[in-house]
Amino acid sequence: MLSLRIAVRFLRTSPVQSGLIIAGIAVGIAVQIFVGSLITSLQANLLNQTIGSASHVTIVAIKDGDPVTYSDLVKKTVRSSSLVRTVVPVRTVTAVFTKNTQNVPLSVTGGDLTNLDTIYKLTARTQRGRASLGNGEVMVGKDFADKYAVSPGDRISLNLPRQAPVNLRVSGVFDLGSSAANARSAFTGSGFAQRALGISSDKYSAIQVQMTDPFESKAVVADWQGHLKVQGIKVNDWQVENKDLLSALASQGSSSYMIQVFVLVAVALGIASTLAISAVQKTRQIGILKALGLSDSAAGSIFLWQATIMGVVGVVGGIALGLLLTTGFTLGTAKSGSGFPIVVQPSFIAISAGIGLTVALLSSVIPTRKTTRLDPIEVIQNG
Amino acid sequence: MADALVTAEGLGKTYGVTNPTRALDGVSFEIDDAEFVSIIGRSGSGKSTLLNLVGLLDTPTDGSLRLDGHDAASLDKDGRSHLRNGLLGFVFQFHYLLPEFSVMENLTMPARIAGKPADKSEGAFVEELVEMLGLEGLSKKGANDLSGGQKQRVAIGRALMNRPRIVLADEPTGNLDTENTEAVYELFRQFNQQWGTTFIIVTHDQAIAQRTDRIIEIRDGRLVQDVRNTYGKPVAMLGEGLPGR
Repeated sequence: MLSLRIAVRFLRTSPVQSGLIIAGIAVGIAVQIFVGSLITSLQANLLNQTIGSASHVTIVAIKDGDPVTYSDLVKKTVRSSSLVRTVVPVRTVTAVFTKNTQNVPLSVTGGDLTNLDTIYKLTARTQRGRASLGNGEVMVGKDFADKYAVSPGDRISLNLPRQAPVNLRVSGVFDLGSSAANARSAFTGSGFAQRALGISSDKYSAIQVQMTDPFESKAVVADWQGHLKVQGIKVNDWQVENKDLLSALASQGSSSYMIQVFVLVAVALGIASTLAISAVQKTRQIGILKALGLSDSAAGSIFLWQATIMGVVGVVGGIALGLLLTTGFTLGTAKSGSGFPIVVQPSFIAISAGIGLTVALLSSVIPTRKTTRLDPIEVIQNG
Repeated sequence: MADALVTAEGLGKTYGVTNPTRALDGVSFEIDDAEFVSIIGRSGSGKSTLLNLVGLLDTPTDGSLRLDGHDAASLDKDGRSHLRNGLLGFVFQFHYLLPEFSVMENLTMPARIAGKPADKSEGAFVEELVEMLGLEGLSKKGANDLSGGQKQRVAIGRALMNRPRIVLADEPTGNLDTENTEAVYELFRQFNQQWGTTFIIVTHDQAIAQRTDRIIEIRDGRLVQDVRNTYGKPVAMLGEGLPGR
């Protein structure tokens, strides 16, 4: 294909110019991949920290403090949705831990360990001792254990409302990734909380539900509320309770898109201007080729090929550079211990590559049109 | 009676709209196969305009032009490109080689434009052409690495690459010394006689014009003289307007 051969030759005979355009595309794509993946991973990390170990949809009694009955209707409703990842009925009681003169309130959640693990991942997050919620056992958070010098095997006394103090043996110390949660949360077996609350075996403080996609919770809540309102219970949505977080995430996402768009616009303008200059520089050659019989479409496609070649090389280089940046960032922050891994989605790379190529091709529109319209007589007459 | 290879009837060209300039005015002639014609005239007389019209590089504002039976007015841009590539060959004063390409690539460019595999089936012809042009050993050199005479020989070879029936040359010796001018003339004549290629040469060089078979003189855009060369007789007998008079 002659147009391609001419395009390659033009590129090879202007190596600095070609290299600068390719570098421009590569940097643009690398920035897009790095910034896009960084923000996406940051958001995923923030979400995971905030709601990764929390209930997305929570079924509670309409009246505060009342237990909710885990009836067949509730079971059927929550299990009917394919968007539900796990259902964990819990009993939560507020207890007070007393040490010297200090009274420390603890939110004690009672449940089955295997079931609790599906949300709280207690077994995986046990730092000391072992994950066990057998009869008379309690697991406490790292910050609580550190502050009050509690270790696995120790016995702690908890005061419950209208009941005599209860002695429990600490089986393990967990880290939920949040100091507040580690300082105020404790877990026991289901029977302890049931006895403490004085409720029957089919009643719970709340039915906690995690979704496969947390952002699907709105639709699920609306559906369940329709089914369950007659039962005296209500359905809470994490998105309603975390509006500020969602707003922050949305703003972060928007700023990320803005950065990416402006980088790509800058890249497009750079390519377009350099190709336009190249088209002017090669006017004489194009005119001669047309005088020799090269058709308008073949002449026009020379710059389309140039843009394609530079786009492909630039995009490949940009992907490599972007992956290098993300890997460097991940390794750098891992060393400092404060970071999180940047996950680069293959689909995002494909989208970036597609956008990069499209931008390169669009940038060639002006020189392509100029070349297509060039009349050879303009060159021949002007020498 | 068969059509002439080139037929111009009342050919005219006006440039500009607000301040129109009449560059060519009602020029008519016929040129047959294998003719060796020069077009002479002062600078600005319209001879290059005429050559550009015949070469389908420009379009007339009036009159008609037929090339090998094709009515130029009925050709679209692709049709004109096609004829420029196959029927016509061009030699310009400034050779117009492509600096990004080697001698061989410049030489075979018209064949590549025509979609011919110039390096293979055309190989023997290219070799013959290279030999006739005296370009042996220069094939891989860059176009800018050649002398002026060598560049013009490459340009002549390029014009002949697709074995066109007509070669249009605009001041082909304008930038050459006497030796190279003679070489160019000899090449033109050789191809004209061996291959029957029609040559239409715009020139200021009276030595060249006086050695062509037919001389067309353009003055102020009009054809003032169209004579056959009667070699051996005084040039003055051909009429007024020849260079040197």
